[in-house]
This record gives sequence, C-alpha cells and structure tokens, in this order.
Amino acid sequence: MSSSPTWRLAPGQRLAHRCHDGECVLFNDLTGDTHLLDQSAFDLLEVLRAAPQTALALLALDGGDAASDPALLDDLTALLDDLAALELIEALPC
Amino acid sequence: MLTVAGLGRDELVARLRGPGLRLRTGPFVTCVKSPLALLAETLGTMYADYPVLGEGGLADFHVALSGSRGLRRLLRPQVHFHYDGMAPFQPLPLDQTFPMFEWAMNWCVSSQAHSWLVIHAAVIEKGGVAAILPAPPGSGKSTLCAALVNRGWRLLSDELTLVRLDDGNIDPLPRPVSLKNASIGILREYAPQAIFTRPVADTVKGTVAHMRASSDSVARAGDAASPAWIVFPQWRAGALAELTPVAPARAHMRLAGNAFNYSLLGAAGFEAVARLVGAVRTYDFCYGVLDDAVAVFERLLLERA
Amino acid sequence: MKEMPLLLRALRAPACMARLSEDEWDLLLRQALASNLAATLGLLAEEAGISAALPARVRRRLAWSRTVWERHLRAVAFELRQIQKALRDTGLPLILLKGAAYTAAGLPAGGGRLFSDVDILVPKERLADVESVLMLHGWAGSHHDEYDQRYYREWMHELPPMQHVRRASVIDVHHAILPETAAVRPDPARLRAGARAIPGRDGYYTLAPCDMVLHSAVHLFSEGEYHHGLRDLFDLHRLLCHFGADPGFWAALPARARELELARPLCYALRYCTRLLGTPVPAGVLDAARAGAPNPALLALMDALFLRALQPPHPSCADAFGAAARAALYIRGNWLRMPPLMLSRHLFHKAFLSPKAEPAQ
Repeated sequence: MSSSPTWRLAPGQRLAHRCHDGECVLFNDLTGDTHLLDQSAFDLLEVLRAAPQTALALLALDGGDAASDPALLDDLTALLDDLAALELIEALPC
Repeated sequence: MLTVAGLGRDELVARLRGPGLRLRTGPFVTCVKSPLALLAETLGTMYADYPVLGEGGLADFHVALSGSRGLRRLLRPQVHFHYDGMAPFQPLPLDQTFPMFEWAMNWCVSSQAHSWLVIHAAVIEKGGVAAILPAPPGSGKSTLCAALVNRGWRLLSDELTLVRLDDGNIDPLPRPVSLKNASIGILREYAPQAIFTRPVADTVKGTVAHMRASSDSVARAGDAASPAWIVFPQWRAGALAELTPVAPARAHMRLAGNAFNYSLLGAAGFEAVARLVGAVRTYDFCYGVLDDAVAVFERLLLERA
Repeated sequence: MKEMPLLLRALRAPACMARLSEDEWDLLLRQALASNLAATLGLLAEEAGISAALPARVRRRLAWSRTVWERHLRAVAFELRQIQKALRDTGLPLILLKGAAYTAAGLPAGGGRLFSDVDILVPKERLADVESVLMLHGWAGSHHDEYDQRYYREWMHELPPMQHVRRASVIDVHHAILPETAAVRPDPARLRAGARAIPGRDGYYTLAPCDMVLHSAVHLFSEGEYHHGLRDLFDLHRLLCHFGADPGFWAALPARARELELARPLCYALRYCTRLLGTPVPAGVLDAARAGAPNPALLALMDALFLRALQPPHPSCADAFGAAARAALYIRGNWLRMPPLMLSRHLFHKAFLSPKAEPAQ
C-alpha cells in the first residue's frame, strides 16, 4: 500500500449533520453511529466529498506546508486514520 | 366513555381474571390479565380515571401478571410478568406487584413503540409548551416532575417521552409517577392532596411508591404539546437553583444517549433529535430546594411569553 | 389438530388479512410476533395491495416491526462489507447461506427476515485461513468449553460461532451443510461449484437456486430446534414460489436432490409446504419427490410430529402434544446429525455440563 494514499468519502455516507459554534454532530450511514466532531474535522469530510485528496493536498488547501511544519502532516495523517477507522473515509485502492 | 372507576370493582376483577382488562394509556391499549388481588386493588385506585375499552378488540400490548404456583405461594410468594407467553423479567416478591406492573408497561413501550423517538425522560407542559427532563437514575428527575405537576404543570409522562417522528411534537403518556426513598416523604409533604400507593421496600431501586396522575392529565392524554426546553436536572443538597446552557452538539449527544430507540431508528433518530435540539433551549439544572426549582421553571415560562 | 391458525391462513393467502376483525387481528399479531414474522406480514400486506384497508392501529403496529427490520438490513449490509474486507486476502469467494443470502440477493424470502448470525460456506481445507483472517479483523471464537469445541470442529460442519469483539455480530463459518457425523454427506464441493454471483453485489455469492432450497430443507428437517420452524418453512415456501416461476427449476430439483443425497428432506419440504402453506408445486415434482419418502409408518409419525411442531409457537396454537413434539424433534434432529451413542453423551453434556448459555434475544 502506498505510503501516501488518496482519500475519499466512503461510498454511502450522506453526511447528515448539524454544526453549531465549532462543534458538529454527524450521522454515520454505514455504521449507524453518531459522532461528535470538531468543525474542522467535518469540513475535511466535506472537502473529500467534493473530490478525493491526498494528505499533502489537503494540507496545501488549508494553506499549510508539510516541509516547514512536519508535525502538521503527522496530525492530519492521524486524523485521517481515525476517520477511516470510523468508516467515514477510505483510501482509494492503489 | 367508560373508565376503570366506572367498571366497578367486581367487573374490574372479572375482566382481569378472564378476558383481560383493555386499558388505554396515552396512545396505547394494553390488555392486562392477572388473578392477583393486589393488582386489582391498586389499579382500581391508581388508574381510576383511565379509559377502558370493551372486551375483545385490538390491543397493542399484552401484559399478564401472575403469582407463584404450589408451595412457593406459601413460603416466599412471587409475582411473574409474562408478555403474551414470554417471560422477559425474573419474578419479584409478591408485594412488588404494582412496581412490576409499571416496569412492564414501560418495557412494552420502550422496546416496541418505534413510531416515536422514545426518550428516558419526564415531560411536563404549561402554557402550551413542554419541558423535557431526561435523567439517569439518581438525578432527582421524578421528584422534580412530581413537584411541578403539583404546581400547575400538566403531566405528559414521568418516564417515557414520546417524540413524534413526523412533526416533533410530544404525545402524552400520563401514568403514575414513581418515587423512591426520601422523595416519597418529601412529596407527601409537598402535595398533601396527592394520592400515593403504599411504599414497597427492598426493590432493586430501594423503597418505591407511586403517585397518581391527576384526572386532568389523564383527561388530556390526547393533547399533544410542542417542546420548548430540555432540562437535565441534578439535585444536590443545599444547591442554589441554577440553569446553565448546554451547547447544541452536546445536547444532541446527551439526548441520544438517553433515548431507548435512537440507534434502532438510524437516520430518522438522528433527524428527530437534531430537530428537537434545534427547536428548544437546553440547560443543565441543579437545585436543592423544590420551591426554588418550581420558581425557575415559572421564569422560563415567563421569558418565553 | 385444531382449525388452521390465523397466522397460517395469513401466510397462505395474505389478501384475507383485509377481511379480519379486530379480535382476529389481535390474535394474528400476537402469533406473528411469537413466530418472528410480524415484519413479513407487513410486507405481505403491501404485496397484496391491502395495507390501506387495514385498521390504523394494525398499520401502526406493523410499522414498528418494519422499523426493526430496516435497522436489521442496515446492520447486515455493514456486516457483509466487513466480512468481505476480512476475506479479501484469502482469495475465497464470499458464499452466503440462509438469511444473509436471501437478504443480500434481495429475494422475497429475505423480506421481513431477521436473523442473528451471518452464515458463510468455505472449503474445509481453508478453514484455518478463514478463522485466522476473521480473528485478525476482530471476530473472536466462542464456545471455549473443550467439549463444545470438539462438537463443532470434529463432528459438526462449522467452526464454533465467532463473535465480533466490538460489534457483537456473529458469523458462522460452514464447510458443509450437514455434519461430518451425519449419515448423508452432500458434497460441499458441488455446492460451491454451483454458487452464483449476486448481480450488482460485487463479490457476494449465493448457492444455486435448487441448492438454496435443498439447504433450507436440510436445515429445517434435520436441525435440532424448531422454535423457528414456521418461519423456516415459510422461507422454503417463498424460495419455491420465487424460483418456481422458472420451469427449469422444477425439472432440476428432484434430480439435484438425489445427486446430493437429500431426497428425504426434499420430500418433507414439499409435503409440509404444500399442506401447511399451499405452495404451488407441480404434480410431477411431488410424485418424483415421493421417492424420497420413508416407509408409511414412519411418515405418519413424522406427519404427527412436524405438523404440530411447525405451528406458530404461541399459546393460542399449543396443544399438550406441541411441546412434546418439539422435544421429540430435537432429539430426532440430533439423531440425524450424530450417531446414537454420541447423541446421548452430547445431550447430557449440553444439558448439565456446559456453562450457562446467554439469554435468548
């Protein structure tokens, strides 16, 4: 598996949600769970719904730069892994 | 309209022992069968005002409470609950017959009534709007609910809040209010005119008694209400009555955690809770003195007007 | 035997539900709930176009069961996805059995059908692989009692049920449809060879139509427990009605039964489906199936046992003989699966020595 996968919203996720003051509740169509998410995590999901992205591309969209701040990329990667574990996103098959 | 009181004692006993008493509570019809004198007596008091349907016809639930057989009857008699031939609970000591009945009635609704989002919460109404009081055991929800319904609020339900999936309104399910331990004495003083069952000791919840629902609340069981507040109560000795707003996303998660069929309903459950949270103000509420608590609720009502 | 129970009448001829009184509805709903067929009744009423004619309180009650079933569908869909992901590295096709198969394939037999486990079929020689990938993905073995382990692994045709540690869902991994110890041994390789891909469901397979029917018949007529007897018989009825639209199916069925040594279960299946549920089976097929019948005395006994045990498991349909019939069939069921000497040891062990079972759902 590539070390830099392209991520997309898991097929079947409609992202039913409510956001208020930086916090969101989200219904997970695949597992039936309800998640409490930070606004930025939810925004990430909407970006991936629009089009699949790699972690680096996501960082760039946000104005970040992996070279100058590698910790940022680590954090983002950890978040993406968490979202994948929740079946909200998936890595495109290589 | 025929009520339990209107049946008279003999007919009540005959129906319970025979074809079943078809009792209407809120939107439901329950067929109740039991040979137990204790149940007949308590139903006669606590459900006096409730409508009774004719023999036969369609019931939503079938509840049978029976005693022990044979020698057991003499030694440590028990009460058994059967749902149409199936026994979902362990038996209890015979003197816990009425609490068993109430728990059985709650179980029927919370495990099956999926036309509603069923929240483990009390709900009361005044001025056309409702306050929902969700609470895990020990929060003082029932005590607060019992107090408020004796100070002008209408009882919609003590245990099970029925939120319609189609329009988000609350359908009433007025039934006896359950009280535990110290609350029993407190409410007797607070509402000397209210009617209580004899307290039953040594249940899993301690000493339990039930307070009869007012005739008015039973008569208006068909009047739905629209929700205005969600209040998470927490009683603490000596606390000043204080409301603290709860953020909507947190309110959603907490409410979902208190609903019996939230997961079962899937996306519809999510939408029902989201709509509810969007339509109300949600608070955490701590209080130490009942009169203070009642005053806070009156203020909420005034603020809304 | 008493007059035909309401539930049976409703399953045979769903349109009759439009003419039931409130009293009859009260009883019918209770029988349906006890038999786990309430959601199915709701679907049958829709198929017959009579839902609007039903009393409001009935429609409401049926809707509650429908909600439960829809939730079940979502959970199954997710579970199958997870199982498929787990099995990917083994290269094995995901062959589904029973309720999971009917549901995944969108068959009428899946309508309203609730089931607690997902059943799959894999080659015996790959069992160890399959067990280890499932464990890697979170399913844990059960029945750790040494005796039960042996029961499943050596004598039965499946691994001990595996339960997911987080989701609590259960998967039953079969390598055959009858146990090692049974007198007849339908060749699982033939069953796997006949498996069909489900159109539009990438990577999911079911058995071929004849084999699905035969498996259902075997499951019902040689399993130990008949608590779901009526529901399982109704599965058969739905399968036969659906596949029976293709004349090729009827032509192939008796021959396939003989080939797999399942003529006896097929005989029972067609006999009790036609008698209890009025399944439309061509006369020629019934004749051919009779070749699998036991001697007349045994058949009469089986009639008495099965016709009672397949009634709705509800107090309104119980006669004193019903419970005894079910108990007799439990013993019979195990007899077909295990030789008599092993049988009594197994029953004894099951009753007294195994750790207390989980309460039923």
